[in-house]
Amino acid sequence: MSSYESFIRCRGVTKTYHKGNTPVTPLSALDLDVPRGTFLALMGPSGSGKTTLLNLIAGIDSPTSGSLHVGGVDIAKLKRGQLTKWRASHVGYIFQLYHLVPILSAFENVELPLLLAPLSRKERHRQVQVALELVGLGDRSDHRPSELSGGQEQRVAIARAIVANPALLVADEPTGDLDRESATQILNLLRELVREHGKTIVMVTHDPRAAAAADTVLHLEKGRLVEAADLNMQAA
Amino acid sequence: MLPLSYAVRNLFRVPARLLQIVLGGGLVILLLMLAAALSEGMDGVLRSSGSEKNIIVLGTGSEESVERSEIKASVPSELEAAVSGLEEVLGRVAVSPEIHYNGLLTLGDGPGDSRQALFRGVTPAALLVHPEVRLVEGTFPRAGEIMVGRLAAHRLGVGEAALKPGTQVKVGSTTLRISGIFQAPGTVMEAELWADLNDLRAIGQRDTISCVVVRLDSATFDDVEVFTLQRLDLELAAIRESDYYAKLAAFYTPLRIMTWVTAGLVVAGAVFGGMNTLYAAFASRVREMATLQAVGYSRKALAFSLLQESLLASLLGSLFAAVIALAFADGLSVPFSIGTFLLRITPGILGLGVLGGLTLAIIGTLPPAWTCLRPELPAALRSA
Ligand SMILES: Nc1ncnc2c1ncn2[C@@H]1O[C@H](COP(=O)(O)OP(=O)(O)OP(=O)(O)O)[C@@H](O)[C@H]1O
Ligand SMILES: [Mg+2]
Repeated sequence: MSSYESFIRCRGVTKTYHKGNTPVTPLSALDLDVPRGTFLALMGPSGSGKTTLLNLIAGIDSPTSGSLHVGGVDIAKLKRGQLTKWRASHVGYIFQLYHLVPILSAFENVELPLLLAPLSRKERHRQVQVALELVGLGDRSDHRPSELSGGQEQRVAIARAIVANPALLVADEPTGDLDRESATQILNLLRELVREHGKTIVMVTHDPRAAAAADTVLHLEKGRLVEAADLNMQAA
Repeated sequence: MLPLSYAVRNLFRVPARLLQIVLGGGLVILLLMLAAALSEGMDGVLRSSGSEKNIIVLGTGSEESVERSEIKASVPSELEAAVSGLEEVLGRVAVSPEIHYNGLLTLGDGPGDSRQALFRGVTPAALLVHPEVRLVEGTFPRAGEIMVGRLAAHRLGVGEAALKPGTQVKVGSTTLRISGIFQAPGTVMEAELWADLNDLRAIGQRDTISCVVVRLDSATFDDVEVFTLQRLDLELAAIRESDYYAKLAAFYTPLRIMTWVTAGLVVAGAVFGGMNTLYAAFASRVREMATLQAVGYSRKALAFSLLQESLLASLLGSLFAAVIALAFADGLSVPFSIGTFLLRITPGILGLGVLGGLTLAIIGTLPPAWTCLRPELPAALRSA
C-alpha cells in the first residue's frame, strides 16, 4: 500500500502536553497510513496515547509537530476555526459515553450537525430520518436520551456521526460501556458502514473481541506503534 | 448557529434556577426602573415648576430660598409702575405678591394633629403668573379661607378626607376654612396650601412679603433686573423662576447621586450573584459544549447560544418587573422636601429597564460562558 493512496497519513506526528513545567509526550514521531475504506482498531495499555492519536486524526487537537493528512488535507496546518469547519463535514466522532444532548430528542440530536450545512428544512429532515433508519431507530426519533437504552443511545450517536455524510468516523471505546449484545450490534453497524457505505473508521478499544471486528489492529505503546496485525477479517 | 429553541429549552432545563434568575433579575430591573422614575419625577417637578417667562423678585441674599426672603409690601406696585411690557390679562398686570411660609397646620384638636406644611399667601393675581394652577373643586380663597393642592394631603400624610372643602383648619392660631382644591400638574405648587396674602401676613406677624412673581410679555429679564439695580434702597434681586428651580434641582443632585449609587451597588451585587449562578450552571455543561464543538459548532456560535439563554431570562425578568412596576409603583405619589410628585412608569422607563436588564445579562453571562468554552477540547470532552 503506497502512502500516496492513504486516506489518513501521519508523518512524524508528535504531541507534547505541558503539565506545569514538565512536558508529557504521549505521541512521538508517529507514522501511520490508513487506506480509504478501512476499519482500523487501535489497542494499547491505558495512557499509551490512543485517545490522543484519535483526537489528532479527528481534528479535535493539533499535533505539536509533524504532518497529518486526512483525505488530502494537512489538518496539522489548519487553525482552530478552520479545523472546526473541517470537522463539521469531514469527520464523525463516536464517544464511549455517547455524549448526546439530554434536552434534545433523538431526532434533534442527529439533526445537530446538519444545522451547520446549507440545507432546506425538508432535506435536513429527510437525511435525519435516513440516518436514524440506518441505525435501526427510525421509530424512536421523539425519544429523549434518558428514555433510551445505552445501546440505543450509542446508535443515535452513530446516526449523529454519519448524518452529514463524512468519509471518516472515529470512535473512542464505543462499546466500552455496553453489554455484549449491544456491543455486537454496534460493531456490526460499524462494519456495515465500512462495507456498504465506504466509510473509514478508526476505533480505539481495550476489548480484543471488539478489535476482532476490524480489518486491521494496531497497538500503541508509550506513544509508538509497536506491532501491526492484519487480521483479514472478512464479513461472510 | 444553534436554533433559538435550543436556548429556550435549556432555559427550562432547571425550572428552579430559571425562577431564581427571572425573579432575581426582575427585582434588579424593577430597582432600575424605580430609580429612574424617582429621578425623573424629581427632575420633572423642579423643571416644570419654573417658567421661563416668570421672574421672581426677592430680597438680596435670599436667592436660594424664597421662604427666607423679605421685601417691602410696596414693591409690587412700584415694580408694576416702573417696568412696562409685563403680561396683561383683561387689563390686569401679571404681578403676584407672595408670601412663602413654612409653618404648622393643625387639623383636629389634639396636639398630635399638627404638621409642617408649605403655605403660600397670594392674591388672585397669582393665577395670572401661574396659569397651570386650576381649581378642581370649590373656589379661590378669600379672607379667612385656604385652598389646598391636590397632593398636599399625601405630602402631609393625611387622608384626602381631612382636607375636604368646608373643613376648618388652623394655621398657627388662626382658623381658616378650606375653600377648594387645585391642581398644577407636575409642579411643587400641588403640594402647597394657598391662603389670602393678608391672612398669611397676619399669621406670620410680618409687614413684609416674600417675593413678587412677574410674568414677562415684551419685557425682558434685564428690564426687571434694571429696576432692582435702580432701587438699591429696596435691596432686591431678580432671578428667573426656571433658574431658581434649576438651582434647587442642583441642590438635590447629591440625593440623586445617592439614589443611583445605591441602585448601582445593589445591581453590581446582583450581577455577581447571577454570575455565580451561571458559573455553576455552565460548569455542568462543559462536556456538552465540547461535544457540540466536536460536531462542528464554533465557540462563537455556542457563546451566542448561551447569551441567548440569558437574554431570554432577562426579558422574562423585565416582564415581571414591568408588571410589578405598573401595578404597584405607577401613580404612587412620592413626597420630598419641596414638593410631591407622582411616580410615572413611562414607556421610556420600561425601555430603560429592559435595556438595563439586557446589558446586565450580557455582562453577567460572558465571563461564565468564557469559562465554559475555554477548556481545550480533549480535556473538556473527557470531563464528567
Ligand atoms: N490535556 C492533557 N494534558 C496533559 N496530559 C495529557 C493530556 N491529555 C492526555 N495526556 C497524557 O497523555 C497520555 C496519553 O493519554 P491518552 O488519553 O491518549 O491515553 P489513552 O491511551 O487513551 O488511555 P486510556 O486507555 O486510559 O483512555 C497520558 O499519560 C495522559 O496523562
Ligand atoms: Mg483514552
